[in-house]
Amino acid sequence: MDWDIELIGEILVSAFLVIGGLFALVGSFGLVRLRDCMQRLHAPTKATTLGIGGVLIASMIHFGMSGEQISFHELLITVFLFLTAPLTANFIAKAYLVYRVEESDLPPTTGKYGWAIYHDPPKDPADL
Amino acid sequence: MGGAGLLPIIALLPFLGALVPGVMIRAGRNAAATFTAIPTFLALLMLLTLAPGVMDGQVLQKSFSWFPPLGLSASFMLDGLGLMFAVMILGVGLLITLYARFYLSNEDPAGVFFTYLLLFQGAMLGIVLSNNILMLLVFWELTSLASFLLIGYWRHLPEGRQGARMALTVTGGGGLAMIGGMLILGDIAGSYELTDILQAGEAIKASPLYLPALILILLGAFTKSAQFPFHFWLPHAMAAPTPVSAYLHSATMVKAGIFLMARLWPVLAGTDPWFYIVATTGLITMVLGALIALFKDDLKALLAFSTVSHLGLLTMLLGFGTEAAAVAAVFHVLNHLTFKAALFMTAGIVDHSTHTRDIKRLGGLLTLMPITAAIGIIAALSMAGIPLFNGFLSKELMLEEASHTSWWESPWIVPVLATFGALLSVAYSFRFIVHTFLGKPRDESIDHPHDPPFGMWLPPALLCVIVVAVGLFPAAIAGPIVDMAASAVTGTEIHTHFALWHGITPALIMSGIAIFGGLILLALHAPLDRAWLATPRPEAKRLFDGAMAASVRGTRVIAEGLHSGAISRALAVFVVTTVASGLIAFFGRGLPEVSRPLLPIPPVAAAGWLLMVAATLSVILLHRRRFLALVVISICGLMVSIGFVYLSAPDLALTQITVETVTILLLLLALHYLPKTTPADSSVALRIRDGVIGVSAGVGVGALAYAFMRRDVPSISDYFLENAYSGGGGHNVVNVILVDFRGYDTFGEIIVLGIAGVIIFALMEVLLRGRAGRRLRNWAFSEDRSRDRHPLMMVVGTRVMLPIALLVGVYILLRGHNNPGGGFVAGLVFSIALLMQYMASGFAWTMDRQRWEYHSLIGWGVIIAGLTGAAAWIFGRPFLTSAYGYIDWPWIEEFEWATAMAFDVGVFLAVLGAVMLMLYSLSRMARYAGETVNLEPMDYDPSQKSVQTERAPQERGVPTEGEEL
Repeated sequence: MDWDIELIGEILVSAFLVIGGLFALVGSFGLVRLRDCMQRLHAPTKATTLGIGGVLIASMIHFGMSGEQISFHELLITVFLFLTAPLTANFIAKAYLVYRVEESDLPPTTGKYGWAIYHDPPKDPADL
Repeated sequence: MGGAGLLPIIALLPFLGALVPGVMIRAGRNAAATFTAIPTFLALLMLLTLAPGVMDGQVLQKSFSWFPPLGLSASFMLDGLGLMFAVMILGVGLLITLYARFYLSNEDPAGVFFTYLLLFQGAMLGIVLSNNILMLLVFWELTSLASFLLIGYWRHLPEGRQGARMALTVTGGGGLAMIGGMLILGDIAGSYELTDILQAGEAIKASPLYLPALILILLGAFTKSAQFPFHFWLPHAMAAPTPVSAYLHSATMVKAGIFLMARLWPVLAGTDPWFYIVATTGLITMVLGALIALFKDDLKALLAFSTVSHLGLLTMLLGFGTEAAAVAAVFHVLNHLTFKAALFMTAGIVDHSTHTRDIKRLGGLLTLMPITAAIGIIAALSMAGIPLFNGFLSKELMLEEASHTSWWESPWIVPVLATFGALLSVAYSFRFIVHTFLGKPRDESIDHPHDPPFGMWLPPALLCVIVVAVGLFPAAIAGPIVDMAASAVTGTEIHTHFALWHGITPALIMSGIAIFGGLILLALHAPLDRAWLATPRPEAKRLFDGAMAASVRGTRVIAEGLHSGAISRALAVFVVTTVASGLIAFFGRGLPEVSRPLLPIPPVAAAGWLLMVAATLSVILLHRRRFLALVVISICGLMVSIGFVYLSAPDLALTQITVETVTILLLLLALHYLPKTTPADSSVALRIRDGVIGVSAGVGVGALAYAFMRRDVPSISDYFLENAYSGGGGHNVVNVILVDFRGYDTFGEIIVLGIAGVIIFALMEVLLRGRAGRRLRNWAFSEDRSRDRHPLMMVVGTRVMLPIALLVGVYILLRGHNNPGGGFVAGLVFSIALLMQYMASGFAWTMDRQRWEYHSLIGWGVIIAGLTGAAAWIFGRPFLTSAYGYIDWPWIEEFEWATAMAFDVGVFLAVLGAVMLMLYSLSRMARYAGETVNLEPMDYDPSQKSVQTERAPQERGVPTEGEEL
């Protein structure tokens, strides 16, 4: 068997694709199966983001190996994903809290201040 | 003929000059009057340099092609007639400028007045200098518009506004008729150039369309020159300031109709219809105007009806169709101008110093205002036709012509009526003199009338000098001018022999009868006046208002029948019509054979299709819950963008996705202030009807697309693909189409977009001041909204994104010409980058950190795009021709540049400005609803030691002065 560089590359690409695909599948499955919004939020934001990460790495390796040009698009996509996924999750969670959860049902915050959606922001950060 | 080049400059000077007084409105009357006089004087000077040649019989011409397919060219001509009128317009214009400077009070906006005056002057000059009858029509309508502005100058007076509207309706309506007449005339002659038409007189008179053309053109001329039965607008136009009356009703506006009849005299005159229409109308107008004038107590009304009467006289003379009568008409145009302008100015002076124009209250002004009285008396004697004044000479000529004109086989009617008209004219002229200046002051409440300042009596005095000079030495002073103009009118060499004494002629006898009869009539004025006031007369204004109201009712019935204001109905009509015409086409001609095979449906496309169908169906189900519907709509938008990517249309995909983002964001913001649900307010039947219409349209579009895609249809894409690089210098065909092939469309579109942005802003301004504003001020935010308005994560995230997004915007703008992108997308990307900041940190906070006015962004965008397009003119190419080339940027690489890039920058700025202006409008609404302004970018910044709080949350709504939103 000829363990040349191309073969190693192809194996790597395939591995990342499979791993990424698995994570994405788990994410989508979770979106369907998990109980409520707060739980379901985890599936696409975490699992699927990882899945896409796998695909992106596979893509970088593939285009890097084919020798034309090292592609940076994937890096940019990663940066954007890291920016947007947590923000989206944060906002969905906030909206859910506002519409569906009573303040009394929330666990107490351990600090001086309550939950951000129910209490005005702290006047002085030293209070925290 | 080197001087011909001056003609367009002369015609344009007043228009250029009109810009100046308007912008220096604060500089005072002196400055405004000076800068009105300068262009007038320059134009007059240029005209006079051309005069010697024209007096020798030259006809100067200068022509530029303007819009050849229509036969429209910017073509100017100066002959004797045009020269006489042009000198009259400019010369009297100068005098009026001086007079108006002293007439207008300090409260009147003088700059506006002089701007209107110059506009009017330019339009009149255009009429008399035009060689193309289509251009003449343009100027003709311009005079109607400019006179509307002038007559309504005192916009606080209802009479002024009504008079202006009436004048515009009547003269503008006549102008519309004249357009038809001129088009027929040009069609018969085969050219719209006056010089050609004047050669084609025989053909025109022989044409079967001669009569319709004649009637339509005469409608224009008669309305403009206030001929019976259209005379009624002129007295109502007297609500204008007196300088306007003096200008419009002595030298210019009303003479435009006379000018036109004289101009077309060789072509139209001399036939029976011409004689019976024109001469009869003129005769009736002359007698009727004079009769009404005798019983008017308002000085200006008297002069107005006397003007009507004299215009009738001129019309009648032109209507006679003989050369001698045309000479008399030309001579009387000149004479009427001098005495009537002087008389109007006198009336203005009297009004100014006594504050009344009521003849019954005036009297004895001779001793109190000697200079004014002298001017008024000289001018009025001329109007009466007393020997030694110029009015006498032309009236003699008129009576002479009338004395041997027979009407319908009767030799008596015309001479008798003409003498009667002259008699009435004597009577009202002497009434003007006797009841105003002679006798004793009748009303003691008029305090201390006095002569006006020098500048106010000088213009009429100068005119009186002409009145007397021409009266005494007609052959020497007026002879050459009349020769020149009359030769131009008749097209033959004319040599007049004016003299004071012709011996005892029929005309002299008629004149004598008129003078004595007139004096007797004046002596009997008091009882006659009572009788006149006792007889019922039709009142023109009431008739006119009635006709207007009726036509408004009529049009309202039609308009409201067609367009109820319900957009659903308008759209239904449009959609049904479109579908029906599609069906007619389908069943009429059928379709060619199918020439392309069906392709297999790839699973990816099928999935996308299913998603889109599902989303569309969900919109229908969810449309009452607005936020949900918006979310589902955005799914459709995203799927469409993905579809574009799938079908290799990256430009469209980029555009679609950015447009989608911006609209969804703006809609979200707008929905916040609207009810969250749509009430069901249409019946089931109505909904079924709408559903059927909607589905039929959708199925129709789908079927059409399917039919096209199954067949090889010739398409213009091939042309674009082939020529994009060679013609527009770009590899991105879509972009080249936008900025080059269809650049004109794009230019229009960015203007529309800018207008939309500004209109949303303006509408919001109005909304906020009205009921909606009051409701907003009482807006209660729902209790369940989150307390953290500017979450830290969001703020930091968008901050990180800002430079990246802006960079992407610049990149897309620059690569647009050759790769997917362009100004439109770049503008949207920039907007999204800014929108994110606004969402994260609040509008006011972000607005404080950027210094661009969104309004001016739109303006700059349109200007840059327009200038780029206009730059092509410098190289003698049509608007928006693009150029491109290459520059070597050392150390980096060779760059291609194209003028289209500058155009794209304009597009970019306009799009950015419009979107941001819409956002700004929405954020104003938020402020009214009580949104407070945050001083910090985020709710709570852990990196800072101490955080200032937001302003007191109690602070509601209305932004205070100087506070940026």
